[in-house]
Amino acid sequence: MSGPEGTCFEGGVFPAKIIFPTDYPLTPPKMKFTCEMFHPNIYSDGRVCISILHAPGDDPMGYESSAERWSPVQSVEKILLSVVSMLAEPNAESGANVDASKMWRDERELFNRRAKEIVKKSLGLDKTDTS
Amino acid sequence: MRGAALTTASFVLTAAVVGHAYYQKKQFYPSVVYITKSNPSMAVLYIQAFVFVILMGKLVKKVFFGQLRASEMEHLIERSWYAVTETCLAFTVFRDDFSPKFVAMFTLLLFLKCFHWLAEDRVDYMERSPVISVLFHLRVLTLLLFLGTLDSLWVNFAYHSTLTKGATVQLVFGFEYAILFTIICSVLLKYVLHTIDLQSENPWENKAVYMLYTDLIMGFIKVFLYTAFVAIMIKIHTFPLFAIRPMYLTMRSFKKAVNDIIMSRRAIRNMNTLYPDATPEELASMDNVCIICREDMNTACKKLPCNHIFHTSCLRSWFQRQQTCPTCRMDVLRASVRQIQQPPAQQPQQPQQPQANNMPQPGQAMPPFPGYPFGSHPFSREQDSPMLPLEVLLLHQGSRNLPLLEVTSNSPRHRLLKSHRQRHLLLSTSKSFNFSSRDYDRAIYNYHRCTAGCTRYSTKCNAWDAWNASHATIYDASSFSNDATIWFTQVTHLA
Repeated sequence: MSGPEGTCFEGGVFPAKIIFPTDYPLTPPKMKFTCEMFHPNIYSDGRVCISILHAPGDDPMGYESSAERWSPVQSVEKILLSVVSMLAEPNAESGANVDASKMWRDERELFNRRAKEIVKKSLGLDKTDTS
Repeated sequence: MRGAALTTASFVLTAAVVGHAYYQKKQFYPSVVYITKSNPSMAVLYIQAFVFVILMGKLVKKVFFGQLRASEMEHLIERSWYAVTETCLAFTVFRDDFSPKFVAMFTLLLFLKCFHWLAEDRVDYMERSPVISVLFHLRVLTLLLFLGTLDSLWVNFAYHSTLTKGATVQLVFGFEYAILFTIICSVLLKYVLHTIDLQSENPWENKAVYMLYTDLIMGFIKVFLYTAFVAIMIKIHTFPLFAIRPMYLTMRSFKKAVNDIIMSRRAIRNMNTLYPDATPEELASMDNVCIICREDMNTACKKLPCNHIFHTSCLRSWFQRQQTCPTCRMDVLRASVRQIQQPPAQQPQQPQQPQANNMPQPGQAMPPFPGYPFGSHPFSREQDSPMLPLEVLLLHQGSRNLPLLEVTSNSPRHRLLKSHRQRHLLLSTSKSFNFSSRDYDRAIYNYHRCTAGCTRYSTKCNAWDAWNASHATIYDASSFSNDATIWFTQVTHLA
């Protein structure tokens, strides 16, 4: 996945894994970045936290309406699109990475610098484009 | 690293204490007496025992689980904190029996609980992991056997102790182990279900049903045990504060299990009895790909009240999880109730409404707004509310490769402004379809203006009933840029 243009992740190429359950598409797949990421909605181990990847039953953050959740209509393409848009516009309200959320909200400059570092690292480590 | 240092430190301290005692007393028995009489030495030995427990835990973990996954670790830590707190609360109830033996028994209980949780997580993981090795089966089976035996031994012991010595703290252990035993049973059942599923080539359709029933039965047993436990505790001791949280959680999950079963059964029954089979013409008029399995629909298809068509078997599997339409998220249970309740009220309106499955084709002009087929209004209670629920969702019909814009309205209006992400999603797709962000903003602006005026209107005209419908309609994004703004403007004028 390449970082969206015009954002602090611009230019980065981030390898990620999408893991499909056996009963896909009835339950959502999981997506995990295999490189280092620093983003409010990505856990420190790389797991992506967005509402369309959550099954309607469980609500880890306790705020999502069921309309935003997983449904079999969602496609891989849409998941990728959502993740790209998530990279562009983090949702600091539902922080998976609390440090990143805080930094994004309060110290945007620092966050942008941190993101640039991540971008550089991603280019240095792995050049395969998975998106 | 720190753990290793602490372990070494405790070993060194123990060695020092024992060495010192032996150096002073020269003989085995007097040195034992010396150590037990000295409080600092005993403290060191207790710490050593604790370290042993942790080392033991690590060993068992290595044998039965290998490397723990991050989520398992997270679960474990989260649950252990609760368990430790509850154990401390339990100590307050049994402060009279407080002794090292008592603490040791609680530690053992906690220790075993951790492995029950891990077993639960591991078996849940089976469903998602791509390859299950023989080692995995061996580990899970021996672990379950081991834990199950321990639990039943403890239950047995507690039972006999209660019979002979009357109600003591053993009662608590008895119940705790009984609960753990039910966990083992449900893990075992799930393991069997997963294994059968893995053995067969095709996905096993009824597995979800069996899983639901397993949850139901185990939930029932747990609720029963907790209720009995609390009743007995109130009778002989005091109110068991430490059991409140697990009891509440158990009841909640039991309620959910019951609810799930009832809802899914009702949805599937509705599907079989109420919803019409899709006719070949209907299938031909739209692209006949089932959105769930992405395969062609020829026979055995059902049409939901919202006019979306799916394979019957795909729908059944989906309804076991969720009772909404996969495409528009219309609540099928609510919709069918409505269908039954108000068929006469709907009939007179039918003639002025074009058929709902007449979806506008790309490039074709939108039908005029008044009376446009939005179906009936499911949220009549929201009719007069100033917060007209509305949300714009982008739906993508993969097979056609055309982004579709769906206007659904089942969340408060202000969400629209908040959901930047969806907006972005829309914008990012719109780029490839010459659909500028200005068009989008204008549409939203108009949409917004008309929703602000909707309350006055809703009492007068059916058109606003339509706005209240949970599922409005689907527009093609390619025609959206031209037609939708016009359409939205029309709506604004009407308002």
